[in-house]
Amino acid sequence: MEHLSAEQLARLVDEEPGAEEADHLSACTGCAKELEALREQTLSLAALPEIMPPLGDWRVLEAQLRSEGLVRDPGLFRRLGLAQTPAWMKAAAAVMLFLGGATTGSALTTAGAVSFRSQNAQVANVEDAAFAVRSAEQDYVTAVVRYREMLAQSGGADLGSDPISRFAALEHLVIVSQAAVRQAPGDPFLNGFLTSAMAERDAALRMVSASRDNWF
Amino acid sequence: MNTQTLGTTDSQLIRLAADGDARAIRALYDRYSPRVYAVVRRIAGDDDLAQDYAQEAWIRAIRALPTFRGDARFSTWIHRIAVNSALQALRKAETRRKREGPAPEDVPIAPTHSDALLQKQLERALDGLPEGMRRVIILHDVEGYTHEEIGDVLGVTAGTSKSQLFKARAKMRVMLAGLDGAALEHGAEAWSI
Repeated sequence: MEHLSAEQLARLVDEEPGAEEADHLSACTGCAKELEALREQTLSLAALPEIMPPLGDWRVLEAQLRSEGLVRDPGLFRRLGLAQTPAWMKAAAAVMLFLGGATTGSALTTAGAVSFRSQNAQVANVEDAAFAVRSAEQDYVTAVVRYREMLAQSGGADLGSDPISRFAALEHLVIVSQAAVRQAPGDPFLNGFLTSAMAERDAALRMVSASRDNWF
Repeated sequence: MNTQTLGTTDSQLIRLAADGDARAIRALYDRYSPRVYAVVRRIAGDDDLAQDYAQEAWIRAIRALPTFRGDARFSTWIHRIAVNSALQALRKAETRRKREGPAPEDVPIAPTHSDALLQKQLERALDGLPEGMRRVIILHDVEGYTHEEIGDVLGVTAGTSKSQLFKARAKMRVMLAGLDGAALEHGAEAWSI
């Protein structure tokens, strides 16, 4: 009796056998076993697991994606290690930047020789606009850095965790914000900012009071 | 995976990733890189090539993300990109090899134990198949493509795909059983694994 060929058996994994093939399979245990083994092999292939890519693949990919400009660059704050900068401190810098040296901004330039680029630069096209935005972002970060230094110099060594220095910084922020609002009383951003700053300051004050009440 | 992206849906991640958000791209990579790597590794039959093909697949996918409309699931979409990317790279390599001279002989697969179809044995057997057969059996038996889909991807007829599949299964069976081809034609008693 002639056995079924290997390829015939491989086909019968998916397809019904013809009459002759069926007769042979019912009579030949060898071919029947072989067909069963091929079915098991096929099931095992379907059950093969996913494969973890080698470690380090992501770094290579990320570098390639960056080189092609497919990944947006992280913000300057992250690159400069300032991602943890408290929001209120960033806001303070923003207000100072807004004032552009008119009031407290002058303190910044005096303390750290920071000079802000003109905020009224004319933009002629999209590239100019993008450049202006990047410049503004850089100025903003510079202001935050300078502001941190100023606070540190004035005793805020542990910024954010020490309630007294936090209160002092926020009080300073409120004063700056009030000055900004005086310059632009109708500006909704500045008014909203002042309100937030005052709320933050009052909360810090409550923390200071609570820590003093519990000093013993 | 980043905890902030753990519960994020694919569509949210895709939207962010299409905009170049590094964390979203990383999250998609974390989710789907094992699937992508698995298919290109099996098609390539080689770790080094697989890494290159997987990288290429991801770069293509990220480039094409803004055009992803969500008609198919992201996993299906990127899987197809990975398959096409690997096959295209292999075709290029084949063309180069033909220009440069004859390919080295396939490394023979050592006979394996006959009592189990372990994953490693299967992978080794797949690696030992000739490329044409390997592509078809991977796409059909491992990845679940139909012969028509394989025909589209490989540029062959469904009949050719079937023919290659049956040959591949038979060859794998021989490798896994540690038998030579002639044994299959004669000694049925020796066939069981």
